[in-house]
Amino acid sequence: MADKPVYEEASIDGQPSKLASIPASDTTVWADASPLLQAACAGLRDGELIHGDNFNLFAAMSALEIMDPKMDSGIVCTYYSIDEAIENGAAPIPISLDSTIDVCRTIDIMDHLLACEAAWHKGHSLAQTVFSCIYLLRLDRTAPHALLHSYCRIIRATCKAVVSVVSDARTHEEEDLFTMTYGLPLNGDGDDKCLSILNAVEETISRQLRACKATSSKRRLPEDLEPLQSNPNLEEGFCKALLCRLRFRKHFFHVLSCMKRPQGRGLESARKHIASCLTELESILKSADFLRSCFDESCEGDIDDKTTASGFEPIGFDAMLNSRLSAPTPPRAIKILSWKKGVEYFVKLLHDLDVICSYSLDPHLESLLRFVVQFQKSQPDLVARSHLQLLLVQDGKLYGRDPFFAVINKAAALPEATKNHDIQKNESFLQLGMLVMNLLKILCTNAAWQRRKLGKFLQDWRVIYVQLELAFRNEYGEVSSSSNDENTCMKIFQHILLWVEEQTFWIAFRFLILGFELELYSTGEYCMVYWYLYAVLIKLAEKTHLMMAVSHDTAKRKGKKKKDSPKDLARESRIPPAVLFLQCYICLAEGLTMYLSRCLLL
Amino acid sequence: MEQEVGESLIHLGNSDGSNSSSSDPVTRVRKLLFRRMLVGIKDGRFFLGTFHCLDKQGNIILQDTIEYRSTRRSSPSPMEQRCLGLVLIPSSCQNSCHVDCSVEEQLSLLKV
Repeated sequence: MADKPVYEEASIDGQPSKLASIPASDTTVWADASPLLQAACAGLRDGELIHGDNFNLFAAMSALEIMDPKMDSGIVCTYYSIDEAIENGAAPIPISLDSTIDVCRTIDIMDHLLACEAAWHKGHSLAQTVFSCIYLLRLDRTAPHALLHSYCRIIRATCKAVVSVVSDARTHEEEDLFTMTYGLPLNGDGDDKCLSILNAVEETISRQLRACKATSSKRRLPEDLEPLQSNPNLEEGFCKALLCRLRFRKHFFHVLSCMKRPQGRGLESARKHIASCLTELESILKSADFLRSCFDESCEGDIDDKTTASGFEPIGFDAMLNSRLSAPTPPRAIKILSWKKGVEYFVKLLHDLDVICSYSLDPHLESLLRFVVQFQKSQPDLVARSHLQLLLVQDGKLYGRDPFFAVINKAAALPEATKNHDIQKNESFLQLGMLVMNLLKILCTNAAWQRRKLGKFLQDWRVIYVQLELAFRNEYGEVSSSSNDENTCMKIFQHILLWVEEQTFWIAFRFLILGFELELYSTGEYCMVYWYLYAVLIKLAEKTHLMMAVSHDTAKRKGKKKKDSPKDLARESRIPPAVLFLQCYICLAEGLTMYLSRCLLL
Repeated sequence: MEQEVGESLIHLGNSDGSNSSSSDPVTRVRKLLFRRMLVGIKDGRFFLGTFHCLDKQGNIILQDTIEYRSTRRSSPSPMEQRCLGLVLIPSSCQNSCHVDCSVEEQLSLLKV
């Protein structure tokens, strides 16, 4: 590094000029100790240290080593600060005096920002991805450049919205870098206006597009309208490339704000915006050919590795400027996703969000659990999972709508009337409600974290079962007379106890299955795992069958008053399909256990 | 009291034979422990922390360290700071080293 030495030798009064800005206390001064330290080093024996009583070698090993590129995130790189970088022309405004090049470079910045955003969602720190953009770090500077300004503004607002969703959902426990925004200018004034600014820019460009189409068909250009850039042959292509990029941002922002609306009220409009986003992404992909062809000079290297559609390096990015803010991560160079991969990521994210938005908010817990498990199979990323979780649990209610006791009431096949029963104020039932809520939250986390949590969680379900059973016995242990209300309470207890058992085995089952998804089992363990599965499944099937019989009972009693149909008898003897399905699983697990144990023996 | 100790703290004993009793530099550096120390390094940053440890190679460990860096390459510029905690500054990148001391101590240093 060709840094000129900043430190100046001690001046006559022993006070180096640089030190003036780091004052000692009022009555003291800085005295040069280096000669003394040098002399002391010479006097020390090998391996000897000068240290105080509180010194601990083990603790000292964890000291941050200055100038070690793997530990010291503060190493001064090209620039000392953002302002210095700007003064040196690292992020000029306008980007180029030639309006054609200026538009082209603006598109590069947009593309690179998209790639950065995808890299952020994929687990890198915000400081080193999106906020490596110097324009974004000093947003007010971009005000004269309407195009860049509007785009940067919506990016910042989008990042803020995503951070707030993820930190509200707290599904990011193992991905906590995501919400680290310390020291970044994420909160600017007037971000509520970002959409109107974007709309204005979009309007201008679409008029420019219409105008250039009109001129090509020999009509007159409206006088008040300047073209986007100077080369008339490229005008249409540039306008289109910009429009799809701006519109994608607009719709994506709408998607986020619609999905945030309480009780899933915005899901339908979110789906419309998702569809628009996907269309715009397609146009963005298509614009790549044009952008690559509009300059003769071609760039070296594989175009698929580039972070922009045109293949040019974007102007105005420096990931090292912010590396100090990316703590607590160790300083490291990160690789931004390629532009293509970035677009692919957004396509997947939007599809995942669409799955969430198309969910019918089924009040049946059983089908909800099935939906979440199915959703997780597509391995959705953090942002999509956070949105799902926020939808499921709002204000301590399911979908922000159904109290959890009512949900349990339904799941435990109790009649609708008991959902407001006073028994829900019982502490054990309150706790059970919390457990169900936590179960939903856990199911929205990533597979590894989910499995760990479920393992610990199993214990809680066992405890709540014992608690409920105890409460049940205390209250109804020796009751012989049965008033109507007591009967109801007893029924609630019985049903819910059975249901809790069923859930416990379901969680155990999910825990075991996740081990397969995470490839945690070695081949030698398969035999044992299948045997476990077999045992858990038998219990699960048994409880499910009981549960179904009980719910069938409830349903039947309702209808009994009207007529006794002969069909009922036939239906009763039949095994419900859900249980049959579980029995298939049981046979599979049993067969695999037998087969694998035979293999082990041979 | 502290001042008395400080009198003979910093100046190199062997250049001045008069106070040979405390002239051993190792002993005197030991007395500097837990004092505020300011270490400048080659890329222009400064580290201010409590002197914690020194080894034969001259590597310094500071506790509760604050990093100071200028925001511009040109000399007079505002400083930016952040807390780092326990840091090890290898001797290879050290540029300067100062300890916090009273004016009297400073004068005795100049006498050397």
